[in-house]
Amino acid sequence: MTLPDEVLMAYADDELDARTRAAVEAAMAADPEIARRIAQHKALRNRVHSAFDKVLDEPVPARLLQVVRSEPVASGTNKVVPLRRRPVRRWAWSQWTAVAASLIVGMIAGRLALVRWGTGPIVMRGGRVLASGALADALSHQLAADQSAAGPVRIGVSFRAKSGEYCRTFTLRQATALGGLACRAADGWQVRVLAGTESSGGAPGAYRQAASSMPPAVITAVGDLMTGEPLDARAEAAARGQNWQR
Amino acid sequence: MVATGVVRSSSMDSSGEDLRDRIIELLPRLRRFARSLARNAQDADDLVQITAERALAHAGQLRPDHSVAGWLFGIMRNAWIDEGRSRRRRESRLEPEELAERIGDPAAGADQELLCLQNVLARLPQEQRLAVALVLVEGFSYKEAASIMGVPVGTLTSRLARGREALQSMLSETSGALS
Repeated sequence: MTLPDEVLMAYADDELDARTRAAVEAAMAADPEIARRIAQHKALRNRVHSAFDKVLDEPVPARLLQVVRSEPVASGTNKVVPLRRRPVRRWAWSQWTAVAASLIVGMIAGRLALVRWGTGPIVMRGGRVLASGALADALSHQLAADQSAAGPVRIGVSFRAKSGEYCRTFTLRQATALGGLACRAADGWQVRVLAGTESSGGAPGAYRQAASSMPPAVITAVGDLMTGEPLDARAEAAARGQNWQR
Repeated sequence: MVATGVVRSSSMDSSGEDLRDRIIELLPRLRRFARSLARNAQDADDLVQITAERALAHAGQLRPDHSVAGWLFGIMRNAWIDEGRSRRRRESRLEPEELAERIGDPAAGADQELLCLQNVLARLPQEQRLAVALVLVEGFSYKEAASIMGVPVGTLTSRLARGREALQSMLSETSGALS
């Protein structure tokens, strides 16, 4: 029995109906060459997929988030909007710093079932990313000096941003460990940076120093935002006492 | 796990805020797809930006029975083809020696494999490259990929088969040349 390569490819991609699949499987059992070609199709598929999969772990550049948040939405169904051919804005480093105030990195959205409406440690509302649940709770109440190693959230440093609000770094224990930075806004803790940490895969409870496992993107953002020194234990408790209001 | 892309937009209201959230949620996947089309990360992110701008400017064209992901990938496909003519003139492909050199660069170390695949994908004809990117990189079904490309499933299948065959033979050459 000869099978066209397209059929073997479709088998490798799981695109065949049950009958054709059975025919391919019978042919595969009878002919090792067919089995080899199918394995090759599968291997190529896996290779291409896993190479590009790494892109999902990269931080999403702030300029893209900024565009999605700020472009006007044309929602009228009959409205004809001409396709503008506008030069793409590339941001200079100085502008990036200015945008640090609304910086979010590494949404990892498709990767971890983390960003959800109304559930999970991080929620999106109107294009803003806010801490929720256990994360919001830890940011509001947990003190760095006094936290359980077994908790789902570990607080790193707390500090005052140049713009006046309080910000705190945190590590979130998920299937993959995540490090982030959140700042206190009027409507809650706004997550400014979120990225995968080096220590992912470590045994639960085997936390290293917060600084060593903190993703570089978080450390950079802290450097950009912070004014003065990080809060010491007393200042941290005092800030909590006034509910992190400036 | 990788999210499978088809989320129906029926629950979406027309305020636009939900569309913004959906786009933000899909940005990592849009960036991945763009990376399989554009030659470098910078151009890929420019493509994502153009896609987001067009999507928001044409939000009214998203019908309730459309998959938001499929719609966005379709916009990106069109944007990529539009940009193609000027891009093709600028674009120079990496020759194997240069590829070997880049692979030897420790700064590029983590992405050797990605770089290698981007390079071979770049040598495929446009339509084969799209078929490979939609099915192998993004994991769309043949039906979804065909609909994004605006062609019948049979056309998608033959482009995919030819693209894969070319990819396979280039990859066996490349690994031979570099080992």
